[in-house]
Amino acid sequence: MNQSYDTSKKIRHLLAGIFTLSLGASLIWLILEATGMPLTPDLGYVMNSVGDTGSINVVTAILMDYRGFDTLGEASVIFTSVAVTAAILAEPVFTLERPILSIITRRAIAYLVPVFFMFPLYVITHGHLSPGGGFQGGVSLAVLVILTHVVFGHNLAMKKIPFSLLTMGEYWAALSFGILGLLGIFTGVGFLANLATGVPRGIPGQLLSGGLIPVLNLIVGIKVAAGLSSLYITLEGNPRRKK
Amino acid sequence: MNPQIPVFITAALVWAIGIYGLIIHRNMIQICVSLSIMESAVIILLVGLAFVPGGSAPILDGHTGPFADPVPHALALTAIVIGAGFLAIALSLTVAMYRKYGTADVKKLFPWDETQ
Amino acid sequence: MNSLGEYIALIIILACLVLSALSAVLIRGQITTIIVLSVFSVLCAVLFAMLQAVDVAMAEAVIGAGFLTALFVTAADKTRGQGS
Repeated sequence: MNQSYDTSKKIRHLLAGIFTLSLGASLIWLILEATGMPLTPDLGYVMNSVGDTGSINVVTAILMDYRGFDTLGEASVIFTSVAVTAAILAEPVFTLERPILSIITRRAIAYLVPVFFMFPLYVITHGHLSPGGGFQGGVSLAVLVILTHVVFGHNLAMKKIPFSLLTMGEYWAALSFGILGLLGIFTGVGFLANLATGVPRGIPGQLLSGGLIPVLNLIVGIKVAAGLSSLYITLEGNPRRKK
Repeated sequence: MNPQIPVFITAALVWAIGIYGLIIHRNMIQICVSLSIMESAVIILLVGLAFVPGGSAPILDGHTGPFADPVPHALALTAIVIGAGFLAIALSLTVAMYRKYGTADVKKLFPWDETQ
Repeated sequence: MNSLGEYIALIIILACLVLSALSAVLIRGQITTIIVLSVFSVLCAVLFAMLQAVDVAMAEAVIGAGFLTALFVTAADKTRGQGS
């Protein structure tokens, strides 16, 4: 029985390999055929972005100004992911445990953590000037929360960064994103309008420029950081025992 | 020399490798790894489409010249963050399955199936 | 992408990308698979930085090599037992 099981497994892997090879070859042919067609990049965004938005990073200008509504949808996807994970796994509970790392490592990392926070804050606040933005800086902040959990143990980390703070951060960031979008409707322009609402533009290339774009970057950073770190905490915790 | 053609071929190969892993594996963690590889292949394809020969990154800090197309970059950025969200849901389903059935192996959920 | 040297470097990175994806699928052992997936993400980030997409490179490096690795290791630790 074991012999026939191994044989059927080999046959299955061979069939999967043949199927995958034919699929990959046809995909290569399809992509090369499709990209052989003439395709001109749309340079309107690159030409007009500094005049329209005041942000010199065109990707941030598209994400936060031209397609701000898509960013709101993406933020709601993160919100849905957190809600579904919290519904599948129960509320996290951590039992008492000893920290894994030694005391020297913990003290050294405790002195280094404020330095670690400089990088995500720089990335978030300079999102319209240099590569980066709300998403990248927010994920870096979430990784720092995971670092405190791994190094200092779950109980101390949950005491310093409580789970309710993360949930409230997610909730209020989503709400304030919508309220900032309503600012455009009250001034008669449209949902999530940026410079047309009358906010000052600033000089492009300086830190305070781009109208609402730095504020939106900050909100998206808080939202992504809170959402992804609460995903990790929900996955890491044990389920509450039934009494 | 245009580097777009080898990038497209690599994207198709990596996507096919992800499909292969999705077929041959029965463990949920490895299925999630294969899903992550397939998602990366799509992002490689998007970034390769946005490439402009002789251009530079779309940050307008003074220099002129051709720039890469910024719209696929924004799309790829959105896709990466959403991919992290759906992988988190898949992994939490794996953990819930382990809590209920005591295994992360899809094969062991169907013990009456002799052919697998 | 102007000189021949950059082109050769791109080809080498693409070959390493395919090799790391193949080994992430074929290697046995969950932790090894996850670490090889992290290496794959870092190689993806280098490729994106070469292809003029610096924002995407930063996002892929932070999410793929930092956040998803922690999530995968946590899930592998939670499902470790006699079943898998």
